[in-house]
Amino acid sequence: MSGVRLDLQEPLPVPETEGPPARRLDARAWARENLFSSKLNGVLTVVFGLLLAWVAYRMFRFVFVDARWEIIERNITNLLVYQFPRGELWRVWAALYVLAASVGFGVGAAGRRSSLAAEADGVPRQGRSMVLRRVGPLLVLVVVLLVFAQSLTATLLVAGVAATAVLFRVVGQRVPLRRARLASLLVLVGIAAAYLTITAFGGVPRDRWGGLLLTAFLAIGGIVISFPLGVLLALGRRSSFPAVRIVCTAYIELIRGVPLITILFMSAFALGFFLPPGSERPSAVTRALVALVLFTAAYVAEIVRGGLQGVPRGQLEAAQAIGLSPLKTTRLIVLPQALRNVIPALVGQFISLFKDTSLVFIVGLTELLAVAQNITKQSDFVAQGLFVETLIFAAFVYWAGSYWMSRESQRLETRLGVGVR
Amino acid sequence: MTEEALTAEATEAHGTGEPMIVIEDLSKWFGDFQALKDVDLVIGKQEVVVVCGPSGSGKSTLIRCINRLEQHDKGRIVVDGIELTNDLRNIQEIRREVGMVFQQFNLFPHLTVLENVTLAPRHVRRAAKAKANEAAMKQLERVRIPEQANKFPGQLSGGQQQRVAIARALAMEPKIMLFDEPTSALDPEMIKEVLEAMVDLAQSGMTMIVVTHEMGFAREVASRIVFMADGEIVEAGTPEHFFTNPREERTKQFLAQIL
Repeated sequence: MSGVRLDLQEPLPVPETEGPPARRLDARAWARENLFSSKLNGVLTVVFGLLLAWVAYRMFRFVFVDARWEIIERNITNLLVYQFPRGELWRVWAALYVLAASVGFGVGAAGRRSSLAAEADGVPRQGRSMVLRRVGPLLVLVVVLLVFAQSLTATLLVAGVAATAVLFRVVGQRVPLRRARLASLLVLVGIAAAYLTITAFGGVPRDRWGGLLLTAFLAIGGIVISFPLGVLLALGRRSSFPAVRIVCTAYIELIRGVPLITILFMSAFALGFFLPPGSERPSAVTRALVALVLFTAAYVAEIVRGGLQGVPRGQLEAAQAIGLSPLKTTRLIVLPQALRNVIPALVGQFISLFKDTSLVFIVGLTELLAVAQNITKQSDFVAQGLFVETLIFAAFVYWAGSYWMSRESQRLETRLGVGVR
Repeated sequence: MTEEALTAEATEAHGTGEPMIVIEDLSKWFGDFQALKDVDLVIGKQEVVVVCGPSGSGKSTLIRCINRLEQHDKGRIVVDGIELTNDLRNIQEIRREVGMVFQQFNLFPHLTVLENVTLAPRHVRRAAKAKANEAAMKQLERVRIPEQANKFPGQLSGGQQQRVAIARALAMEPKIMLFDEPTSALDPEMIKEVLEAMVDLAQSGMTMIVVTHEMGFAREVASRIVFMADGEIVEAGTPEHFFTNPREERTKQFLAQIL
């Protein structure tokens, strides 16, 4: 600062720091400190340890010894797609390949950008084991399905899907994308392409889908449509235009006041109200999807609104001061921060949606859980109490999907540095 | 100070003599509370005006009115010949000419330092990315932290963050810079680096309005000091006048408290 002096001190030199002493315990010391630190703790450890061991033993015994898994083995195709025409099954495989390619590419491209940022951050790159842990729940699911399918063709095809995903991930890492947003856009295009692969060009319309395929369609479709809708509703509820605000608020409060089952029932009539008279009645699958989307969007809106309120006012002022328009302020400054802060709640809502798809049986659809019920009535298996096996199977599939989403959400949180401002 | 003398001191443009900001008869209410009472102030081109006064005196409100972070209820503000109106386009035009630095930095935590600085040039001026990056690096060099360009704001010290905030405001090549207590949220050892950047800026001929309690800075850099209390300008004058020969009782009291 040439020529001008300020009466301020030079900064003091920073002394070298010493790290905390390393703390390592062997198993005995660890157990004594954590499990048997007092008499009461010791008793509790023993009691709950025995209880846990007993439950685990019974579970394992049932799953690996007593259970009669034949019902699942014989019905695996039914559980996955139900009455989907068997001659058209190749379309589902093709769709899986399309999906694997686009998701692989998107993850690779997005990962490239964020690992560049992470490197600048000094965060170590995630290793191969990390990737395996990410897709772990899905991997377990696929392996279990293949064990039940006992089919070489299916195993080879699945291996092909996995190889495609890995291959395109590598491609995605190599191809520089100018914008990270293109990566997520590509995944969306992939999802749409996968859908068209099954339905278009003389394919199978979604009304004839069933089983896990239908569950996945309702869940993915529900998430992809309800998320942007929810964000718009949240922004609308905070709009400065009274008309927009009132409509959005009324919508959110109305939907949140009604159980999902009611909305599913009503979607049958309600859609009729809004469609022009004489137009074709929407199919049951469409109605179910619309109901799930309408329902979830209201909850997403409230979650996002919470996030919007958490963005400090100073952020808005800074954006205004540098001349950003209101629209760009929302898009570039407010929304990214708001959404980042509500990832856990949002993913929680999407997990709910995934499991709530099981309710669509009440409008006559046969998704995974309904198939699991139906097959116990087949003549070979009827009245043999096999519903436990089928329910465990369905529960396992739901768990694998939910746990995978939960893991992805945790990974996103650490990547985006929630709470480490 | 007589009414006329005060008006003359506050409304005569210093600097090059040409007025850059003209504030006439400005009043602002928050509910029933009047934060600004008929403020008149003219700021010349290349002038550095330090605004000081006790908290709640309206000094922040005054400069926040200039780029419409607060809407004034009465009076007139003219920035570089453009009168501030309610028209959004007009407001945007003025905001492009006026940079602002906040007490709490208000950097965008989800963007890197470089992205913080290039955001406005790219999205408001629609500059190409490479060009914006190059210009941003120049601004970061100006505040002496080009090496932090790829970090996120949360990884920087307060002083570094505030210098990034200065670079971000400068990236739009404003004609006027507003500083709203830029060093008040900083640890003492970081105040110096921010003040240095501001001194550099003042010497480059930038028109500046600085709300601050850093009297060292005011004494050395300011061309005029404006003392406010209860929403009014109590006294205005050169640093020499202000520190050695204040006329008003309230100014004397304030100086006695902070010096």
